[in-house]
Amino acid sequence: MTKILSPRLVIVVLAAALLVYPLVLSGAFYRDIGVTFLLAAISASAWNIVGGYAGQVSVGHSMFFGLGAYTPLLFYTQWGWPPMAAIPVAIALAIGLSIVIGMPTFRLTGHYFSMATIAVAELIRIFTGTWDFVGAAIGLQGPAIARGWWDLTFRSELPYYYLFLVVLAFLLAVTSFIERRRFGFYLRAIKSSERAARSLGVPVRRTKMQALALSAAFTSVAGSLYVIKTGFIDPDSGFGILISVQMVIIAALGGAGTLFGPLVGALILIPLQSATNTWFGGGGSGLTYILYGGIIVLIARFEPGGLFDLWNRVAPGLRGALRKRRHA
Amino acid sequence: MPDGGKLLDATNVSKKFGEFRAVAGADLAVNAGDIIGLIGPNGAGTSTFFNCLAGETVPSGGRIVFDGKDLTRASPEAHARAGIGRTFQVPTTFADMSVIHNVMVGAFLRHPHRNDARDKARAVLELTGLRPDQPARSLGTPGRKRLEIARALATEPRLLLLDESLAGLTPSELQEAIALVRQIHQSGVTIVIVEHIMEVIMTLTRHVLVFNQGHVIASGTPDSVVREPAVIEAYLGRSHRRPPPDPSPANGGG
Repeated sequence: MTKILSPRLVIVVLAAALLVYPLVLSGAFYRDIGVTFLLAAISASAWNIVGGYAGQVSVGHSMFFGLGAYTPLLFYTQWGWPPMAAIPVAIALAIGLSIVIGMPTFRLTGHYFSMATIAVAELIRIFTGTWDFVGAAIGLQGPAIARGWWDLTFRSELPYYYLFLVVLAFLLAVTSFIERRRFGFYLRAIKSSERAARSLGVPVRRTKMQALALSAAFTSVAGSLYVIKTGFIDPDSGFGILISVQMVIIAALGGAGTLFGPLVGALILIPLQSATNTWFGGGGSGLTYILYGGIIVLIARFEPGGLFDLWNRVAPGLRGALRKRRHA
Repeated sequence: MPDGGKLLDATNVSKKFGEFRAVAGADLAVNAGDIIGLIGPNGAGTSTFFNCLAGETVPSGGRIVFDGKDLTRASPEAHARAGIGRTFQVPTTFADMSVIHNVMVGAFLRHPHRNDARDKARAVLELTGLRPDQPARSLGTPGRKRLEIARALATEPRLLLLDESLAGLTPSELQEAIALVRQIHQSGVTIVIVEHIMEVIMTLTRHVLVFNQGHVIASGTPDSVVREPAVIEAYLGRSHRRPPPDPSPANGGG
């Protein structure tokens, strides 16, 4: 690994920047970008476990996000639960769904797996739009006015920002933990060659299922956090394909299968997306597709390994150049 | 050990792909400590039979027993757990990982903890001689083949199946590779090797099975099988440029 800057120093600086960001840039616009960024980073990092490390490119992760988003609001509207109390239920449902989905789809590899996940997510989206119990096409509303702090309904973005930051830190800690253990090695081996992994005794199916379940659990938490903040969900904002695609693009942009890749990807994509939305106004919502499409083309054509890979190649040269300048 | 030291017993193994019988009733008995060669012209069924032994191909018929356990229909993972390691004809290293991480994936099978797996991987790499921190993708073909052997060894196999692990090497690399396989064998690992290079088979193995059209057409010591007319006709006569070591029956062919 390149040591142009010590990785530990980078992490400390990044963490400090994220901690003070909403205090320094306290305008509503900047805080909104900050919260959106954190949520995107959580979703993409959750996707990264199975899509990046294990190389099973799901383009249907919105099914877990949507499940995580719908469950708290469903429990609120039906039984008056505080939304956050239903997060464990949503996690359990997401793990259950991941097993049901993983069993048949993991028989497929590569593009076929990706297409199967798209199909399942779309089916769930369409079905949700016709199911009255979950609000059909209109969707569900959360508590408009907080009944107490436990409803987590705040006017300010600040509490959400720090809540999301804690979840992101926890998710990255978990990812870093598994990265260095047998499970993480097995995931990378599976990504590289399932055949070779099997020959070394790696239980490929089981490992992929575990990765999907873990990824689904965290993706559903991202969905729950989203509705706790917005207080509203409908089929498109929960299960829409753009949600899945955004996770893939962010992770691929920063570097899929790397610890901080999704975070770096979100750091670039979310401000860019906010900027294009602001410049072109609400009428430019189709621009998101164009932006995503453009990024896909650029990554596929120039940097399949994402920015992380680019950095690893460029950094040694930079270091050399810096040293030369110092000696000159 | 059951069956009087018999480690692997494959009986009447066959594999059909549709109407095509790739392997038609092959037998192979391997005793602990053996080093056995499988040879045959392209399409003779050698590779299919080999893949049946490794668990990658499920035989259509017959029985494969390893160390008293029936592995006929078991998965490749189960084969690895039972103690059968293998390499691939086309090296399939984990390109994005370093050499030592590749080997650690194998070592994790018997050593679930990272530090133990790393120690095991280091020990194996000392034997096979590759730089641990090198990225696997930077290795050439000889290095990749070596890495595959190291990776398989890290699973601590009792039987190692080598699929043309020595093909495509320069003469000096070949000598090193032969020395490595010898060393592995001497460390107590039983070996079955598929190889087209006669030199390898002649110098390494004590027992050879010759395949042709799905059948085992000859078996015995390397010296004896190369004298068999059926072998000369099916295999050596056509694809082996060098004459067999004992040229006396080479003008036959029937």
